[in-house]
Amino acid sequence: MAGIVPPATTAVPADVSHTAHTKHDEKTDYMNLPCPIPYEELHREALMSLKPETFEGLRFDFSKGLNQKFSLSHSVIMGPTEIPSQSAETIKIPTAHYEFGANFIDPNLMLIGRVLTDGRLNARVKGDLTDNLTVKANAQLTNEPHMSHGMFNFDYKGKDFRSQFQMGNGALFGANYIQSVTPHLSLGGEVFWAGQHRKSGIGYAARYETDKMVATGQVANTGIVALSYVQKVSDKVSLATDFMYNYLSRDVTASVGYDYILRQCRLRGKIDSNGCTTSYLEERLNMGLNFILSAEIDHMKKDYKFGFGLTVG
Amino acid sequence: MASRVSLKTKGKGKGGKVSKGSDEKSAAQRLKEWSTWAMKKAKVVTHYGFIPLVIIIGMNSEPKPHLYQLLSPV
Repeated sequence: MAGIVPPATTAVPADVSHTAHTKHDEKTDYMNLPCPIPYEELHREALMSLKPETFEGLRFDFSKGLNQKFSLSHSVIMGPTEIPSQSAETIKIPTAHYEFGANFIDPNLMLIGRVLTDGRLNARVKGDLTDNLTVKANAQLTNEPHMSHGMFNFDYKGKDFRSQFQMGNGALFGANYIQSVTPHLSLGGEVFWAGQHRKSGIGYAARYETDKMVATGQVANTGIVALSYVQKVSDKVSLATDFMYNYLSRDVTASVGYDYILRQCRLRGKIDSNGCTTSYLEERLNMGLNFILSAEIDHMKKDYKFGFGLTVG
Repeated sequence: MASRVSLKTKGKGKGGKVSKGSDEKSAAQRLKEWSTWAMKKAKVVTHYGFIPLVIIIGMNSEPKPHLYQLLSPV
């Protein structure tokens, strides 16, 4: 009797109870949360869509791989570069650089170095000491005294949290921590202390992501509130919007942009509340040959930047 | 060069008088001077040696690339 009745009553709601059971499992499995993304990549999707690397002038990049892990890169950049000026106008000086780079990329060790014709070196090192501990170093060295910067990061990755400790030149110390609270939500915080400027700060961040959208928010006691929202409309199209507010200096910037990732090209465009529109196109002409067009039009400052380039390899 | 000159004058001064006060001061100051000197040397070494280091590590990784591949554009 007990064997006959239950199958009849449980036959139809079996599916419902099965999905309810798995949803219930997903909801309560707090011991198996995914590892959150690193704190500095919190706004990663919004940054990728809204802030492409626009440039002015000509850019030619040639990348040659000698090995699976080792490659050399040669870049030529010709164009006006802005120099910071006291007055409201932007001052541009035409410059031309050649940049040589060497990259060694291994699962455990990554070394990237770039040196320009005026002697500036950009170096990045990332090494895995153990499965969970990573050391990263970043340096921009110049020949001018007191203009070089360096920073060391120690990252520890736990099961559902990440923590990082940073040390930089000029007595700059920072630490941040991010934890997955639910399968979609992660919360984190950071503190930093700048010895040279005698400033310290604390900030909080939150990130909510699903398959279709990512929403992030960040507040800091330096007065910055940054919110962003990215919606993945389809495989090829993403829309992103970004809002940045400084409550101490009463500065607001909002921007809306799109990112089309198509088979032969990637087109990104955005418009800003400062009257600045940006567009960046990367077109794949052939295997390993990419053509790049970049445009940034700032109507308020009357600054018009157009660039074109070619990337080989 | 500058550090050598300062050590010489310190030696001359110590020969002249016994001073405990300047010893305490110079322990922390000496540490700061040595660390500044070490950072300066590390900066010069990194500036000139980082790219050659990456190239040496890359040329010794498997499969070993040939030397002409480093210079030719193909």
